[in-house]
Amino acid sequence: MTRSLLVSLFIIAAPIAAATAQQPGGGPAHNVQGAVRTVNVRGRALEVTTGVGMALRVVRLQVPAPLSLTGLRPGDLVRVSYGARPGGYVAYTIERLERTP
Amino acid sequence: MMRRVAAGGIWLLVAALGGAACRRPAQPGDPLPGLSAAERQRFDRGRAIFDSVFTPATGLGPLFNADACAECHEDPVSGGTGDEVERHATAFHPEATGRPCDELVALGGPVFQKRVTPALQAALAIDSEPVPPQVTAIAARTTPDIFGFGLLDAVPDSEILAYADPDDRDSDGISGRPNRFFDGRLGRFGRKALVPALREFNDGALAAEQGITTPAVPEEETVGGRPIPAGVDPAPDPELSAAATDLLDAFVRLLAPPSPARLSGQARQGRAAFATVGCDRCHVPALHTGDSPIPALRHRAVDAYTDLLLHDMGPELADICLGQATPSEFRTEPLMGVRRMARFLHDGRATTLEQAIELHAGEAARSRDRFRALPAEERAALVAFLKTL
Repeated sequence: MTRSLLVSLFIIAAPIAAATAQQPGGGPAHNVQGAVRTVNVRGRALEVTTGVGMALRVVRLQVPAPLSLTGLRPGDLVRVSYGARPGGYVAYTIERLERTP
Repeated sequence: MMRRVAAGGIWLLVAALGGAACRRPAQPGDPLPGLSAAERQRFDRGRAIFDSVFTPATGLGPLFNADACAECHEDPVSGGTGDEVERHATAFHPEATGRPCDELVALGGPVFQKRVTPALQAALAIDSEPVPPQVTAIAARTTPDIFGFGLLDAVPDSEILAYADPDDRDSDGISGRPNRFFDGRLGRFGRKALVPALREFNDGALAAEQGITTPAVPEEETVGGRPIPAGVDPAPDPELSAAATDLLDAFVRLLAPPSPARLSGQARQGRAAFATVGCDRCHVPALHTGDSPIPALRHRAVDAYTDLLLHDMGPELADICLGQATPSEFRTEPLMGVRRMARFLHDGRATTLEQAIELHAGEAARSRDRFRALPAEERAALVAFLKTL
């Protein structure tokens, strides 16, 4: 009985643990789709312009290795998942959707 | 007995026909016809929020342009136009790699609010949001009425894109291209067609015009890029609940479009001239809504007189860039309700419809020149037609 309960808990907990592992050390994932405002490859930082209506906002992100910023340039359309850390937002994934003309 | 039944039938027929013929045209501020009781109730409750006057204690500011939606959208009723003029500013760098338009978002743009709460004034000694030196243009923006915007929201992207001709393949001198929001979606609201959806237009206006945070915009904007000083924004975020913003959206969404006035003989002649001159190439008389969860918005023709696309209007009218819109590109202004406007064009510089037409240039130059070439009687007829919209 105890063994079956443990097995059940493992089955439930394993996917949650795997999902959490995809967010390295940060909070729960938020998503933003917007235009790259600035790229700082050396400083490993990215700014994305987004917003709601005319209330525009800039999301400032730290980009840890091994995420790559190479090839990104201002104006590119990107989708980024990220989470909050004490020092600011940290990117989990960056996907370029469209190259700026 | 038979005679009585026949008389009753005739009376019913006359009543039905009379009812249809005498149906009262929608007045400014009326809801769309055919709303359910529940939709009508949400419309009425939403109007109360639209009319609500906010204070710093209830969320106003600390940066704002107006303390109520109805402070600007007030004439002749809530949802109408107003005499307030806003200040928008951006920087345009056509030589830049990537996006040539910088909306100065990191510096508080593109809406630079003209008013501040007493607490912010005391903290920073400012009367309005400072415009940074990086701007290349400052634009004045008048208040449009928002009647019929729910119908514009329900027009499918495909219908708008069908009018686009960015490379002018038909060589008529009129191109028309869509603006796109930062996430790539087609824009349609605002003088530069940046905003993709009415809900976002409303939520964004609460934040940018009144400084009201909502679940969609949970954080106040910065003051010229600097965080808001501690203690000057006493209301907890979000300052307006999801339920309240839903009701506000319902009011705006369900406002009926203006009913055109009856066409006189002269106006009928002017309608023909409107097409002959080529005004209707951009001011497309009717758009059509697609599917909608709200039956009153579903599969309707909306006599908007716009294509919701960007057109180059020439250097004289140029001001700010926004999204993919260059300084000289503007969305075709809907002409529905134009007869109730006191000032025309995006910044209100024209005080008559004739002046507004005369100020058209760029892609509209050919049509403007045809208008100029019309006999005086036909020019007057065209203006008379516009005054029925």
